[in-house]
Amino acid sequence: MLRYGLLERALGSTAPRLRWYNRIAIFPGGLCLLNLAIETKNLTKTYKTSSGPQSVVKDLDLQVERGEIFGFLGPNGAGKTTTIKILLGIIDSTSGEASVLGNPAGDIESHRKLSYLPEKPYYYEHMTGMEITQFYASLFGIKDRELCERLLNRVNLGNDMNRPIAQYSKGMQQRVGLAQSLLNDPELLFLDEPTGGLDPIAHIEIRDLILKFRDEGRTVFISSHELSDVERICDRVAIINKGEMVHQGRLDQLLSGGRIEITADNVTEELSAKFRSEESTVSFKAGRLIADIPDSMKPGEVIDAIRAVGGDVVSIIPRRKRLEDLFLESVAGDNVIKGRKLSKMTDDHDDHIGSGESTGTEEEVSS
Amino acid sequence: MNAVISIAKTTIGEAIRRRVLLVILLIGVLFLVIAPGLSVLSARQNYTVLTSFTLGIIQLTSAVIAIVLTVYLLPNEVERRTIYTILSKPVYRWHFLLGKYLGAVGALFMMMVLMSTVLVLVFKIMQKDASMDDVMRLATAPIFFFVQMSLLAAVAMFFSTFVSPIVNIFLSGGVYLIGTLFSPVFQDLSNNKSLSPAVKGAATLVHTVVPNFAQYNIQSGIINRGPELRSVEFYYATIVGYALIYIAVFLIAGMMIFDRKEV
Repeated sequence: MLRYGLLERALGSTAPRLRWYNRIAIFPGGLCLLNLAIETKNLTKTYKTSSGPQSVVKDLDLQVERGEIFGFLGPNGAGKTTTIKILLGIIDSTSGEASVLGNPAGDIESHRKLSYLPEKPYYYEHMTGMEITQFYASLFGIKDRELCERLLNRVNLGNDMNRPIAQYSKGMQQRVGLAQSLLNDPELLFLDEPTGGLDPIAHIEIRDLILKFRDEGRTVFISSHELSDVERICDRVAIINKGEMVHQGRLDQLLSGGRIEITADNVTEELSAKFRSEESTVSFKAGRLIADIPDSMKPGEVIDAIRAVGGDVVSIIPRRKRLEDLFLESVAGDNVIKGRKLSKMTDDHDDHIGSGESTGTEEEVSS
Repeated sequence: MNAVISIAKTTIGEAIRRRVLLVILLIGVLFLVIAPGLSVLSARQNYTVLTSFTLGIIQLTSAVIAIVLTVYLLPNEVERRTIYTILSKPVYRWHFLLGKYLGAVGALFMMMVLMSTVLVLVFKIMQKDASMDDVMRLATAPIFFFVQMSLLAAVAMFFSTFVSPIVNIFLSGGVYLIGTLFSPVFQDLSNNKSLSPAVKGAATLVHTVVPNFAQYNIQSGIINRGPELRSVEFYYATIVGYALIYIAVFLIAGMMIFDRKEV
């Protein structure tokens, strides 16, 4: 069976046009069968509460392809951990279907091929790193001490493997968790907040390890609030809010449609009114115009118009859409988004007025 | 069975390091050591008081340890999320529960061996003229206490699959008290032909559902050395078999509930 990721890379980043029963994708270059590591259809989990039934997960359709790093995002209480628990068979869904590695969720055969690292894991503190790894190995019927040593060395715990867990830092405990999660050479790893609360060095180490997992052909399913990490390492993401799917897809597609900020001096207020639309934000103060326009609006035409009235283009700053923006759009109320955008524009405007330069983090293109 | 044994070993390691259990054990051992001093106050024979008092200490201490140890085993694993990493491995829930139970019984065994050793030492020191037969007879009692506590741990494990630890302490403690103090009463009531069928039925129900913990207290036979049962081995085998059946029933019921429980 062809791997979706490989074929897609070969054909470019074009998304499949059509999915039939979620198994076939049609690309410009041809058809391919999808090989899904995780799939849910109308997955729903409802709890009975004193105030009536409460759905934590609602009709969730999720597709995670083999060999990819998949980011599963959502605010606290969005239903991420509940979904992971259903996929692991720790709890049952109220309705809908869930399959993991081709078997129904919770199937013991799938458990031989997957691993799970929970958020803030606890390990029996009286045991050493080696003992805890051997304990988890024994749950697979593995009695290979060398394998445990090798895995502990791989996560840089070679020198500390015989120290009790009680003496380990948070980062070291997380690395023990990763070592135990590799014992069965898993095809699929569930990582719940793998970098949460770690110092920057441990953070980078864990992130690099996750990238290596993908290079080894494993599927990694990450639930995280570290959006910068997710943006950096994930191939695809799903964002859920209040148990419902808001977005799912490749990051490059979800983050397409960026904005461009054009700053110009010596222009008239009449010109600034010309650029105002529902999609753009324009501010004008003391002859300086700052226009924040979608990249679909053809910035060349805006620049030509500025030059036509004798204005000077000071800067053109392409603003790529970030995952943080998409996340906020997906989970926050409209007022929060507008307020954030306006305050951002005001801050940028002040920066321009104050320094005559763009804000430092963005790529600047001089005219 | 690898998983069950590994979980049991880990549970023993955790249990014997729990401070609250060690404090209870220490208090029990302390009372065993000072027991001979207390027996001076009694006008009765030293042997009788010493035996009765020390065996009572072992029984009480073991019961408290069995309950406190077992009621927190499952809730702690859920609270600390260790259960998730274990159940995401190829481990069935019944493996987990059985491993936890066997670990609790293993830890109980170790603690009771320690108390029994202290008991025998104290007895040997205070009863210098005691024969080896007397010592062996005395050492038999903790063996049956261990069987009794294994049964109590199974009761506590069963309740821990659906109630909170605090409620479990009262439930398991209540079942133990009824089974220890009132089981013979309910047995008599269920056999009393002069009672109404309703009363007899209720007594039979309680006597059947609540295990008879009283039968494992064999100290009267040790204290009052008199004529023995014709086949004491058969009696012992019967009450051990009875415990095993009840343990199996409580564990299977617990497994069935735990299998459907959302952790």
